[in-house]
Amino acid sequence: MKILVPLKRVADPDNANKVKVNAGKLVTTGLEWKPNPFDEYAVETALRLTENGTATKTRQGEVVVVTFGPKDSETTLRAMLGTGADRAIRVDTGDDQIDGDVVARALKALVEKEKPDLVLCGKQAVDGDSGQVGQQLAEYLGWPQATFAGSIESEGDKALLVGREVDGGTIKLRVELPAVVSVDLRIVAPKSVKSVHTPATHAYPEGVRFAALMAIMAAKKKPLAEVKLADLTSDAAPKIQYLDYELPPARKAGVKVKDVTELVTRLKTEAKVV
Amino acid sequence: MTKPVQAINRYKADLRDMFFLLFEQFKLGELLGKGPFEAWGEEEVRTSVTEGYRFVREVLGPLNVVGDIEGCKIENGRVITPTGFKDAWEKLFAAGWKTMSISPEFGGAGSPFSVQIMLEELMSGANAAFNMYPGLAYGAAEVVAHFGTPEQKKIYVERMFGGKWGGTMCLTEPHAGSDVGSAKTSARKNVDGSYSIKGTKIYISGGDHDLAENVVHLVLARVDGAPAGTKGLTLFIVPRLRHDENGVLGKVNDVAVTALEHKMGINGSATCVLTFGDNDDCIGYPVGGDAKVNQGMPQMFVMMNAARISVGVQGLSVASAAYLNALEYAKERKQGASMTHWKDPTAPRVPIIEHADVRRMLLDMKGKVEGIRALALKLTHHQDQVTFYKGTDDAKAAYNQGQVDLLVPLMKAYGSDQGFRVCETAIQTYGGAGYTRDYPVEQYCRDAKIFSIYEGTNHIQSMDLVGRKLGQAGGANFQAYMGDVQKFVAANSEHATLGAEVKRLGTAAEALSGSAMRLLMWFQSGNVSMVPLSANRFLEMMSELTVGWLLLEQAVIAETALKSVDPQHPDTAFYQGKVQSAIFFARNTLPGVAFKAELLAMEDKSPADISDAAFATV
Repeated sequence: MKILVPLKRVADPDNANKVKVNAGKLVTTGLEWKPNPFDEYAVETALRLTENGTATKTRQGEVVVVTFGPKDSETTLRAMLGTGADRAIRVDTGDDQIDGDVVARALKALVEKEKPDLVLCGKQAVDGDSGQVGQQLAEYLGWPQATFAGSIESEGDKALLVGREVDGGTIKLRVELPAVVSVDLRIVAPKSVKSVHTPATHAYPEGVRFAALMAIMAAKKKPLAEVKLADLTSDAAPKIQYLDYELPPARKAGVKVKDVTELVTRLKTEAKVV
Repeated sequence: MTKPVQAINRYKADLRDMFFLLFEQFKLGELLGKGPFEAWGEEEVRTSVTEGYRFVREVLGPLNVVGDIEGCKIENGRVITPTGFKDAWEKLFAAGWKTMSISPEFGGAGSPFSVQIMLEELMSGANAAFNMYPGLAYGAAEVVAHFGTPEQKKIYVERMFGGKWGGTMCLTEPHAGSDVGSAKTSARKNVDGSYSIKGTKIYISGGDHDLAENVVHLVLARVDGAPAGTKGLTLFIVPRLRHDENGVLGKVNDVAVTALEHKMGINGSATCVLTFGDNDDCIGYPVGGDAKVNQGMPQMFVMMNAARISVGVQGLSVASAAYLNALEYAKERKQGASMTHWKDPTAPRVPIIEHADVRRMLLDMKGKVEGIRALALKLTHHQDQVTFYKGTDDAKAAYNQGQVDLLVPLMKAYGSDQGFRVCETAIQTYGGAGYTRDYPVEQYCRDAKIFSIYEGTNHIQSMDLVGRKLGQAGGANFQAYMGDVQKFVAANSEHATLGAEVKRLGTAAEALSGSAMRLLMWFQSGNVSMVPLSANRFLEMMSELTVGWLLLEQAVIAETALKSVDPQHPDTAFYQGKVQSAIFFARNTLPGVAFKAELLAMEDKSPADISDAAFATV
């Protein structure tokens, strides 16, 4: 199976308190970049679908990772090549010149060229939290889609049985390939992904695999292509304009109430919730 | 056992400082992509350190407290390591962080040693006790890789480097610790060419464990009829399980774990008493074959540099973890009002980092940690240049090897002594909370104490420095070192902002030179009894000079960088921190070097003069 995984780098959430706003724009100088965690889960899922989990050295199929960004975003792609992806493509753009729709349209052109059996993406990026690219891409391609996958079972690499996480439980959907699937956190649990290549009894370590040193060294030799955005879509104008950013207001100190009576009174008269 | 220990990671590291050292101060980039480091570029180095950091935080860090509280135990004659250690061992070797700088010939990635040392800091800082096991296997494998016969290399080296088999170094005996030459373990040659080993070894780290399928002991023993003292010692390969010429494991060799030590720290590391040949059935082979009988000590000496560097790095790694945890706590913990409102009981409580003495402790720890890390990188960068220039520029390689030899005792002793002191200061920064198990610093402090003792006590390091290294190559290595320091002083003593501090370095350098001359004089004039009384002090002075020099070099680089860095960029604070810690060290520690030189010149012999009885009459 050939799988295409779109990937976004985001400012390291652990250093989120360093985010600064200047004149209505995010200051990105000095931010540390990390792959969007949900996209990392998508890469991990793609790797699990294309290997024998008990002998992971050879890949049964191909995993291609794609990102949109400037030259230095190639570090994120190399890291994914280090964990096992076969090939990488960088669509050359600035960080603030695109929106989800531009990305989806460009990906459509890329999918038509690459002809993957499956596009696997994270359910959303943890910076903007838009959560649109997967759905828009499926629409533009006219492919079936299954979002928020917490489990995937490959049926002979012809169709996928996808356990979608919804309020109150899981809905199982069968999608015929080719398809677009977006993944949620639980997809990286030890037994969430079942492929035709891995014994059913196999349990993966929880989470995203580590890049081994030898694979990091080998990643340098794996192909990484650059594509111009204009070569993928003639209409690269974003539809969403970001007018301003502001940091959330600091939390105000609470007040202490004397007794329950005062609490109830205040809930009635001030908060108006009872 | 009561309830299971909660496995959470408390380890954090300063990767920004590591990258500063590698690429800005020591310019590793100039060696990458060429010659022996052809496969390595800056991106591989950065990705390795970053990914290695993720690995240690997720895999090794959470087991640090587990190992401390659970400890090891013996069941049915075998050592059982703490929960999770075996899984971590397998993940570690699958990830390859232990085989980074090993030659591709033995399954490694051939990285610069300086990069491996940064990974060592991460692994050891996340879990010093766990890291003992692979560390010992690595050291033992290196001995066989250097001195083994071709057959021995084929059997052992890749298996041990790769974690399939573990390894130990068995030197100490109940009556032979620092005095290794009095070892009694015996070896008798058998008709089939093997040797029968008999004796008891103590304090053997990782002397047995359940992490790998076999454990290969390197045992110092005396062949029957060999001379007394260190000249009659031979290093034997003694596998726990015997094997055939293809490494297929067979019957158990006669090696028994008879006890585990109960220790102050590194409780997850099994410190064993091993008995060899209790049933007269323990078989061993000399490393390098019969031709190397009685060559045990020279073989050990060649490997000691690497082992001693590692122990210094252990001190660094735990100190760095303690400092960064104390810093985090100091920013969060509120106590007391700010100095400007100290009389007002209603004034808002401030984080303790706002208190002057807490800031002093933090800056003291910062300077020591970053200074010792710089020493580790200075040393290993010299080592990388030995590798790089050997065969193409032998003069350069020789100069660099000389600096490695000279700096090793400093790294081991100063790194471990000050590492322990930083841990102690970290506890003080926390206050009472630091003394409890709710925070990691008390464990760091207990774990760190052993570093100044094993792998040659720090006094042995200081005697190595003054007795061997100062006069090595006719004194040329020390002179080259002093030349490097003086070159820096000459180039920067008129520096616009750091000139005054650089002059303090110059004063300290002169004082050290004078003390070195005095030591030489003692040797020549027969006043040798002064040497052991002053050796520790001299080592400390030279270490402080070196660390002061390297911190000031960092400050000069930082001052230049500050002129062009975006003020919004976090690097601005990073470089400012570099300048401040260099100034602090130059003002609070460097002046002490000249003072200690005066003490040394007093030739105080009171520790020698006092009678044994006079120490206490109880």
